[in-house]
Parts: sequence; C-alpha cells; structure tokens
Amino acid sequence: MQRRDFFKKLGSAAAVGAALPVMSFAANAPKPVSPNKMDYKTAIDTITGGKTPKKSSKVHLKVPEIAENGAVVPVTVEVDSPMTDSDYVKAIHVLSTKNSNARCIDVNLTPANGKAYFSTRVKLGGTQDVVGLVELSNGEFLIASQSVKVTIGGCG
Amino acid sequence: MADERKSLIKIKPKRYKDGEIVKVSFMVMHPMATGMGKDKKTKKIIPAKYINSVKFVYNGKEITNMNVWESLSVNPVFTIYMKVQGKGKLTVTYTDNTGEVHEKSKKIKPKG
Repeated sequence: MQRRDFFKKLGSAAAVGAALPVMSFAANAPKPVSPNKMDYKTAIDTITGGKTPKKSSKVHLKVPEIAENGAVVPVTVEVDSPMTDSDYVKAIHVLSTKNSNARCIDVNLTPANGKAYFSTRVKLGGTQDVVGLVELSNGEFLIASQSVKVTIGGCG
Repeated sequence: MADERKSLIKIKPKRYKDGEIVKVSFMVMHPMATGMGKDKKTKKIIPAKYINSVKFVYNGKEITNMNVWESLSVNPVFTIYMKVQGKGKLTVTYTDNTGEVHEKSKKIKPKG
C-alpha cells in the first residue's frame, strides 16, 4: 500500500508541475482583444437595419489590387450624385471583410459638400475585400467592393 | 503626454472663387494604436489610442461629421469636397478614445 501511495503522490506532483509553466506563460502573454470587435455581417446589418444593399455602378471604389504594405492602403469612394437638398448622399461607410473590427469609418455628408467624395488610408490585416457602402437620402443603400491582396499585414 | 499634435488643413486649388467646389484634406499626426499591437522591446501591449470622431464646421454650420474606428492608418488623412460660400472660417475638431480634443482652423478667402 505504501508503494501505491508514493506513486499516486508522484503522479499528482508531476501533473501540477506540468500545468504550472503553461499557466504562467498564459499570464505573461494574454491574447490581445480588439476594443470594438465586430463581424462584417453584423456591421452591415447595424448600418442598414436589415435592408439589403444594391450593387451599383454609381459607386466608384478606388483601391489598389495589390497592397505591398497593409498598414497604409489608400481608399477612395466617389458617388455619382447631384448633391441637391432633395437628392444627396447621406453617408459613406468604408468596411473591410476580415479585420477584427469590420467598420473603418462612417462619413455623414450634407448637401453643402457639393460632391460625394471621400478618401483616406486604412489598415488591413490580410488579403480581403474592401467595401464601400453608400446611404442615399431616400433611404436606399448602394454597395461596391473590391478584393485587395496584402503581402504584409498591417494590424501589428 | 499632453504634447501638441501637429495637424494641417490643405485646400486644393489654392486660389478659388465664391461658389466653387474645392477639395479639403485634414491631416493629423496621431498614433492610431489598435490595442492589439505589441512593443518590440518591452513586449507589452500598446494601449488603444485612436480617433473617435471628426467634425468639419464651416461658418458655424456642420458640413461633415465622421465616426472613426481603429482600423485607419497611422497619421490619418481625411479628404472631402466642400462648396465655398463666402468669406469665413473652416474648423476641424477631432476627439480621441482617451478624451483628447484637438482643433484646427483655416480662413476661407475666395477671390474674384
């Protein structure tokens, strides 16, 4: 019986010893979590409120097809619109399909802009699609997307 | 760190008439940290610091406002178009997720 007890103790000690380094390693390096994590699908649903956006040739999305550096990807969205008080572009949203937070920026425009245009630079974590979602003043949603090949990810 | 951030408002073309539509770009030196990156030397996670919202105000009237998330690049640029309507002032304000507020303004002087 004594011998059995000895082996039992030995086994439990070994198990604790094996578990300890794993735990300490995990404590040292917690997994970074994005502050506002959001899926691409939920992002589209929250913006449109359940409506399905239409694919349209009115939205001109300008993104490079191959981005050498994912940290700086220039994005330009331009919409054919008269921008009068009765018919104008209400908002331009720039989204990415695979970033941990799909939403990049929402731009709320007014008729005082004169032209529905927005451009900026975004970070992309990997090869994915960049999407331009446009909200018109009559409540319609238009969409345009293009895939971007990223050789070096940008979300460090 | 309460150091003054550098920012710039650029208007293209430089000479413009009343009623013309001009290109306005606002640039700011900002780290735009996502809260997911690590410092290579200390191996600690860099805390999130990114711009939350940007507002363009021209002669007391809000032209454009933006909701911004962390996936914009370091030192971001925001470019829009604007209709010139008389002499005045264009003010751009941004707020940060840490509560930092910065303001930059430029005089609008149409010629001819």
